[in-house]
Amino acid sequence: MPTLTFRREAQTTERGRTLTAQQLNEGGLTIALVLLVIVLAVTTDSFATVSNMWNILGDAALVGIVAWAGTLVIVAGEIDISVGPAVAFWGVMLAKMAGPWGFPLPLAVLLTLIGGLLVGAAAGWLRGRFGVPSFIVTLGLWSSLRGLAQFMTDALPVPIKPNGLLDVLGGKIGPIPTAALVMFLLFAVFVFVARATTYGRSVYAVGGNARAANLSGINVLKIRVILFATSGLMAALLGIVVAGRLASGNSGAASGLEFSVIAAVVVGGTALQGGRGSMLGTLLGVLFIAVIGNGLVLLGVNSFFQDVVRGLLIVAAVLVNTVLGNRTGRRGD
Amino acid sequence: MSTVSPNAAEVTGVSKTYGGIHALRGVDFSIGVGEVRALLGKNGAGKSTLIRLLAGAESPEGGQVVIGGKRLERPNVSDAQRLGVRTVYQELSLIPELTVAENMFMGEWPMRGGRIDRRLMLEKADEALSRLGVRVDPRAWVGDISIADQQMVEIARSMSRSPRVLILDEPTSSLAAAEVDRVLEAVATIKQSGVAVVYVSHRVSEIRRIADSATVMRNGEVVATFPIAERTTREMVDMMLGVAGEDAERVQVPLAAGPPVVEVRGLVVEPKLHGIDLDVRPGEVLGIAGVLGSGRTELLQVIAGVRNPDSGTVTVNGTASHGRGHRFAQRLGVGLTPEDRKTDGIVPELGLDENLVMSDFTKVATAGVLSSDRVKRAAVQAMEAMSIKSASSSTPIGALSGGNQQKVVIGRWLHAGSSILLLDEPTRGVDVMAKQQIYELLRSLARSGKAVVFVSSEMEELNLVCDRVVVLNGGLITAEHTAPAIETDQLLLAAIAEPA
Repeated sequence: MPTLTFRREAQTTERGRTLTAQQLNEGGLTIALVLLVIVLAVTTDSFATVSNMWNILGDAALVGIVAWAGTLVIVAGEIDISVGPAVAFWGVMLAKMAGPWGFPLPLAVLLTLIGGLLVGAAAGWLRGRFGVPSFIVTLGLWSSLRGLAQFMTDALPVPIKPNGLLDVLGGKIGPIPTAALVMFLLFAVFVFVARATTYGRSVYAVGGNARAANLSGINVLKIRVILFATSGLMAALLGIVVAGRLASGNSGAASGLEFSVIAAVVVGGTALQGGRGSMLGTLLGVLFIAVIGNGLVLLGVNSFFQDVVRGLLIVAAVLVNTVLGNRTGRRGD
Repeated sequence: MSTVSPNAAEVTGVSKTYGGIHALRGVDFSIGVGEVRALLGKNGAGKSTLIRLLAGAESPEGGQVVIGGKRLERPNVSDAQRLGVRTVYQELSLIPELTVAENMFMGEWPMRGGRIDRRLMLEKADEALSRLGVRVDPRAWVGDISIADQQMVEIARSMSRSPRVLILDEPTSSLAAAEVDRVLEAVATIKQSGVAVVYVSHRVSEIRRIADSATVMRNGEVVATFPIAERTTREMVDMMLGVAGEDAERVQVPLAAGPPVVEVRGLVVEPKLHGIDLDVRPGEVLGIAGVLGSGRTELLQVIAGVRNPDSGTVTVNGTASHGRGHRFAQRLGVGLTPEDRKTDGIVPELGLDENLVMSDFTKVATAGVLSSDRVKRAAVQAMEAMSIKSASSSTPIGALSGGNQQKVVIGRWLHAGSSILLLDEPTRGVDVMAKQQIYELLRSLARSGKAVVFVSSEMEELNLVCDRVVVLNGGLITAEHTAPAIETDQLLLAAIAEPA
């Protein structure tokens, strides 16, 4: 305990300087992103096209839609590794409800969203009420949601009949991928929630010092339940979007998404131990990872080797981030 | 009494300053082989610094530390340990997830063929424990044994290194009376083996049973060293306090207090409190005095709803509140500022404004949406009212001084509109000027009709702030004094004396 408090003390500086460190991080990430875009624009023919830009945003949305809620989860000092399987499971559920089970689509969509919310809330309750580490709770969900989706479908896609709503969600409005619009809309909502609502500030307080937050009268259990409920809701929403895109519910969808989310959040400068982080940082992290993914494909890098490069770049980005943090007098750990 | 020469440890002419303040001033101290020496003095008298010098944890400015005839050349803990000094600090340093035996031989595991020899380790642990008359299974997890047993394991661990000098820093402060006996018996055994024991404690009953002699410190100097039997407790208290210059700023006329807003009846919290009856009235500052481990914190925690009592009742403004949780108590108007500001009080990365308003967001938010104007106004108002010094109202609270942090933590409950303020050591780790400001703040809060409960380890603070003081000793309230007749020496005497 004493070492912990000591470290906290060493970390803290004037907010002016903290802002500088955060701006440094966000600024650095922006510069890295711009450099990456320039390099890719020069070295490939197909990167710097309008349609490819929309493609990148469409890909980014597949992470971004769940990454805003994921940022709050990590700011609160928690983790949710169940989002990938949750996306697959709720996509399958939607397809089942709208197809073989014969529900009207709007009802199926509504039930999918409610389901995602409730499963998330249950995870948050297990964390908050009984103190089961969130890593473990969501690890259990990670395994059982994917398993359930595969069990229900024999790992085969469940086709969804062509439908206006899903086509729009999974498709484009004009040249713009609908998912990207959803992502940016949600981004605005979450920026507001994180900065201006009592809930958002309570999340930062719980992540910064849960004991102090609790003694000050913040209902920590409630905060934790809402955190995971939101994350579950966003996963269900992304499940619907993905199902629309694939025109089917697919138990293998969104594989590895949870780690893309964590990568985007930490690249964006959010501290894994909680208490500190920003939505803007995560947005930059999401774009950074999406551009890398797109660029590697266009450069014709071997698809297995792409993962290697992606891994190294993520660690490098966080390393730079950490070193910058130390330089400005903050401990970046 | 045992022979007092040759000396097991000797400190001559050491001084130590922290930031220009003398913690020790030319101190001489020596302890003989097989001697048990009580080290007495109020907070800040220099006891801890002296102990740390002996243990090699601090380097002296001038003077020298000699252990068993050898000078401690470069002060560091491992050299001091090699010369034979072992220290058991108040905060236990055992690792709960390891066994007793593993803890005892941490870092010095008995090895055989590159592996830890578990059998030998268990045997040696068992031997070391039984030598002190401790019946603990060396295979048990430390987390599963009682605090008293953990204390004994720490002592046994130190003893297994065959020390020359054993320092025990308030070894009984977290123990119940029956458990204290076991520690004292162990100390008696240790004494028999010729080890010199420096025993820091405020409990005169223990000191009289176990110590041969006592050294009293005050303001970084040694006041006197004497055989324990030659002085009365009263005389020791006088030495600890010195000739107190009559303080003009002490509370002369108690504030007129109203009917009780908090009624505590028959409160029992094992093992600390054994039947407390207490009334807290609006318009007064009530002080709670007592030595470390006397149950002050537990009493506040029960009133604040943070801890459930074993029996007894707490009534706040006519509503029974015990065992109903701290948020319930908060709604009744109770606000607690915790003893450990860093771990329980502040969220360091958040601004002082947010640390302030988090006790009640509804005052600065509409439908869950914060108004930055109202947050700022609340913060600025608090900064002005309590003279909180900060670059801006949104400066992270971790960057503020201890005194300013404390004011924000108190301000949190003023923001929430609490009428009953429970302040656990609000002046700890706070500079002199901020202390003065906190005193004034508490007086003015009481004048404005709030009930203020003030806990402090520094007895001489109490009559500067309190209208009334109760003293906790042996789990009971043993004395009550009302201003202007609150005498520090009476409080200290009541706090450390053997319970009747």
